[in-house]
Amino acid sequence: MSTRRAAILGGNRIPFARSNGPYSHASNQDMLTATIDGLVARFGLQGERVGEVAAGAVLKHSRDFNLTRESVLGSRLSPYTPAYDVQQACGTGLETAILVANKIALGQIESAVAGGVDTTSDAPIAVNEGLREVLLDVNRAKTVGGRLKALSRLRPQQIVPSIPANSEPRTGMSMGEHQAITTLEWGISRKDQDELAAASHQHLAAAYDRGFFDDLVTPFLGLTRDQNLRPDSTVEKLATLPPVFGRHLAGDAATMTAGNSTPLTDGASTVLLASDEWAAEHKLPVLAHLVDAETAAVDYVHGDRKADGLLMAPVYALPRLLARNKLSLQDFDLYEIHEAFASTVLCTLAAWEDAAFCRQYLGLDDALGSIDRTKLNVNGSSLAAGHPFAATGGRILASLAKQLHENGGGRGLISICAAGGQGVVAILEV
Amino acid sequence: MRTLSSPPSLGPLYARAALTARLHRGDTLPDSVYAVADQRIDRERLAAYQRVCGFRVADILPPTYLHVLAFPLSVALMVDTAFPVPLVGLVHVANSITVARPVRSDELVSFTVRAADLRPHAAGRQLDLIAEATVDGATVWTGRSTYLRRGKPAGPARERTSPAERAEPGGAVSYVRVPEDIGRRYAAVSGDRNPIHLHALTARAFGFPKAIAHGMWLKARTLASLEGRLPNALTVDVAFKTPVLLPSAVAIAAQRSGAGWELDVRNARSGKPHLTGTVA
Repeated sequence: MSTRRAAILGGNRIPFARSNGPYSHASNQDMLTATIDGLVARFGLQGERVGEVAAGAVLKHSRDFNLTRESVLGSRLSPYTPAYDVQQACGTGLETAILVANKIALGQIESAVAGGVDTTSDAPIAVNEGLREVLLDVNRAKTVGGRLKALSRLRPQQIVPSIPANSEPRTGMSMGEHQAITTLEWGISRKDQDELAAASHQHLAAAYDRGFFDDLVTPFLGLTRDQNLRPDSTVEKLATLPPVFGRHLAGDAATMTAGNSTPLTDGASTVLLASDEWAAEHKLPVLAHLVDAETAAVDYVHGDRKADGLLMAPVYALPRLLARNKLSLQDFDLYEIHEAFASTVLCTLAAWEDAAFCRQYLGLDDALGSIDRTKLNVNGSSLAAGHPFAATGGRILASLAKQLHENGGGRGLISICAAGGQGVVAILEV
Repeated sequence: MRTLSSPPSLGPLYARAALTARLHRGDTLPDSVYAVADQRIDRERLAAYQRVCGFRVADILPPTYLHVLAFPLSVALMVDTAFPVPLVGLVHVANSITVARPVRSDELVSFTVRAADLRPHAAGRQLDLIAEATVDGATVWTGRSTYLRRGKPAGPARERTSPAERAEPGGAVSYVRVPEDIGRRYAAVSGDRNPIHLHALTARAFGFPKAIAHGMWLKARTLASLEGRLPNALTVDVAFKTPVLLPSAVAIAAQRSGAGWELDVRNARSGKPHLTGTVA
C-alpha cells in the first residue's frame, strides 16, 4: 500500500486567556466551536463535509462525552462531518494532528481538522466522593426502603465538592513540583530559565507586531492577543520573582517562578490538514507536511529521579524518530520545544547534549548534540502565549508550518511533554 | 485446636477484652490454635476494602486482605484468659506477610491462628500472632503480626536512630493525603474498631493526641502505590514506627532492591518515620 504525506494548510486559534479572566464563563465547547468556525471562515469551509475532526480537552466535564462532535454540530461545517475526542494530556493537540495525518497518509480521508481546547476557569467540579457513592446507591436501590437506607448515609460534610487537582494521581505531586526535582537533578540555573522566558515574550511580541498571527488568531470575547504576553519582559524583572515550585528543596535549589513557568490558561486551537490533491482542488496553498511522529513515556512514578523526570519523555521519543528518518538533531531549520516550564526546555536540551546519558538511557553511541538556539521557538512559545493544555499542540503546529512556508522551505521539529510521563515529537517539512 | 464454624464477631470480643483485662497474666503463651474452614469471600466487602486502601477493585486479593479475614481469630485467641497479656494496650509494631500465590475472590479459604514467641523487649514484652491461610490444604498466605506490651524493660535497650543520621530517601516519592476519617473508614471495612483509630476523643482516652491511622491501612496503602510493580509471590515485611496522627500527609518512598522494594514512609511535612520495610 502506498502512503502520501499529509499537508498542513493552516490553523486558527483564539487568543489564550489567563485563568479566571475574560474566558471565565466560556466552556470548552464554546471555545472549540468558535475556533472551528474561525477556521471555517478563513478557509471557506462553510457547509463542507471534512473527512473528520479530532480534538480533545484535558479537563473535561462528563457531560462533554462527545465534545468535538457537539462542537462540529454547532459549527458551520457540514453536520455530516464525523468527529471524535482524543485525550493525551498536553500531547492531545499534536496527537490529534498525528492521528488524522495518518488517516490522510493511508488514503482513508482527504481532509481533517485537528484541535484542542482547555479551560481551567470553567473546570469540572465533581460531587464529594462520599456523596457520589450514596447517590449511586440510591439510584441502584430497587425499593423505597433501600433508597431511604442509602439516603440515611448522607452527611453534612459530603457537601464539600471534589475539585480537580493539578497533580499526578500516582505521586500526589503537581507538575511544577515534579519539574522542580528534574530541574535540580539536571543543574539548570535560574538565570538560564529567566533568559529563556524573556526571549519567549520578546519573540511572541515581535511576531504579533509583524502581523505573523493575523491569519492564525481570531479575536474572542474582547481579547485580540494572548493575555499572558508581556512584551516588556526582561531577565532583570524576571529575576525579582520568588520561587513557586520546589520551595522545600535545600538552599537556593528552588529556581522555578511564576515567570519561568506557564500560568493556567484558557483557549482553543485548530489546524486544517489535507492531502495535496484536496488542497489543490480547494485552491489552498500547502504550508508544510507532517512527515512523521513518535511518542514515548517514562517511569516517573518509580524510575530514576533524573532520567525519568515527569516531563522528560520527548527526550526518549526523539532519537527513535531521528533514526527512522535518518536525520540528526542538527538537520532542522526550526525547533519548537513546548515551554511547559523554561527548565523543561533546558533539561531536554541538556539531556541531548549529555553523551553519558545518551549512551546509557537512549542507547546511542554519542550525544545527540546541541542545537542552534537562534532556531528555537522563534515566534515565542507557551511561557509567553500561555498553555491551555490540549490547545498547545495546534498552536505550535500551525505556527511552525507557517514559519517554514515563509522561509520558503526547510524542516521543523516539534517536541511536547505531557502529564503521565509522556511525550510527543513530530517532524514537519515543506 | 479450636475450630469455629464462622469467624467470631469482633464487637463482643472487644467487650470481653475490656472486662477481662486484669485476668491476663503469666509468662507462657497458650498453645491453642484457632481455626475456621472454607470461608467464602464477600466481594462487596472486598471492593470496599480495596477502595479504602487505594487498591484497584479486582478479583485478585490484595496481599494484605487475608489479614483482615484472619484478624477476628487473632482477637478471639488474645481475649482468651489463657493469653498472658491483655488485648487493650497492645501495640502493633511489625507485620510480615507472605503470599505464596495470588488468591482469587472465588476461592474458599481456611484460616488458622496461633500465638508464638513471647519474648523480652527493651520496652516490655513482644509476641507474634501467626495466621495461615490455606486453599485445598495448600498454604497460600501467611501473616505474622508482632505486638508489644509496654512494661518494665525486659530485654536489652534498643539503639535509637537520631533524626540527624536519617538520610533523605532516594528514588521516587509519592505523596498521599490521609484524611481524618480514614480510621473510621478502615474500621468499617476491616472490623478493627480499636477506639484509638476512630476519633480524636476516643484516642485521647488512650494517650494519643489525635486519632491514629491503622498500621495495616498504611501498609496496604503503601503496597497499593506499587500497583503493577509487585511480584505475584512475595514477602512484605514492615515495621511500624511513629503513628500517623489524623489528618496527615505521608511521603511513600520506594526504591528498587533486586526483584523487590525498599519501603520508607514518612510524614510529608516533618519527615518523621511511620513505616519501613521491604518487599522481596
